[in-house]
Amino acid sequence: MSLRGHKTAAATSGQTVRFLVALVGPIHVAFPAHWVRGIITLAEAGREGLVTWANSSYERTDLAGRLTIGAQMTTAETRIILYGNDQRSRSFMVDGVLGLVDVDRSQVQPLPPQFRGGERDRLLGLFSGTAYVALIANPFWVLELPPRKNALDAFVFQASERRAGEFDSRLRLSSATHEDAVPTPAGHKT
Amino acid sequence: MLRAQLRRQAQVGTKGTAEARMQGLVVFSVAGQRLAARTDEIGGVMPWPGATAVPSDTPFVAALVRQEKRCLPVFDLAAKFNRTMHENELLCLIVKHIDGPLAICIDSQVPSLHMVARSSMHYRVGSDPDIAGTCVADEEELPIINLTTLGVSSIRPAR
Repeated sequence: MSLRGHKTAAATSGQTVRFLVALVGPIHVAFPAHWVRGIITLAEAGREGLVTWANSSYERTDLAGRLTIGAQMTTAETRIILYGNDQRSRSFMVDGVLGLVDVDRSQVQPLPPQFRGGERDRLLGLFSGTAYVALIANPFWVLELPPRKNALDAFVFQASERRAGEFDSRLRLSSATHEDAVPTPAGHKT
Repeated sequence: MLRAQLRRQAQVGTKGTAEARMQGLVVFSVAGQRLAARTDEIGGVMPWPGATAVPSDTPFVAALVRQEKRCLPVFDLAAKFNRTMHENELLCLIVKHIDGPLAICIDSQVPSLHMVARSSMHYRVGSDPDIAGTCVADEEELPIINLTTLGVSSIRPAR
């Protein structure tokens, strides 16, 4: 079964950011997609703390725990996301993958200032899908890299300035519409 | 003509003075706890749209609700008062918070508007900066909650 869920949102500004939307517990979490290196099953990941895939190693991290979402039960929908940039890579478990979504920059809302705690380091903002609200994970925090000031602006604009074909993720997924996005039972790899 | 104008101005002045002595309050309830808040701190009321959880360290702020094209943070007032919301048909109170609009889940009983004499409002600085004092509305003594600074750990001077 292919991964469905690649939607170009009603773009108006021409600045679009691509996210991979996944379920972590009951929460929809969006990961800036150009650092997604692959999505694999638990069986493909193996039991070790280090995932080796396509000649690259990805240290396992308990993302749900770090997000303070709590323990995860593994199901047929559980996947391991391989995430990394030139400096660092990590792998982490999610409870399902909905798909890729292209979001116009203007539709990305920063985390409201009433959120004052550690969540401001973990989350860059949010956007509304048709049927859900997705929280945008801070990719620097995911990779345990030093925090960046104005990470949202720096990251989003950098990503949105890429042209089609310059997308640097090694992830290759089939396209579908955002509305159709459903968790996929099959693994995907680069 | 001049006398009529003066009489009208005098009437307006009297009305204005009377209004100045009154304070508009909205009375609502959260998990059975009845509270009063200044009308100018409230942006509106709508059916509770359901919330999206946010993994948060901020006390009582751990969810979002959709309102039109935006998402508003939710302050869990029931949790602050160690209460649990039991009703199914809830309402959403939109608050004009200093940091931007804020949503509060309240009971299904529609909030009521009261004009209360300022003399019946008793401001006091207590241990909870979110509570400004008490007032009497319809012979019921109610806590006055500071909605605009809810969750902000600074004590707003009494008005």
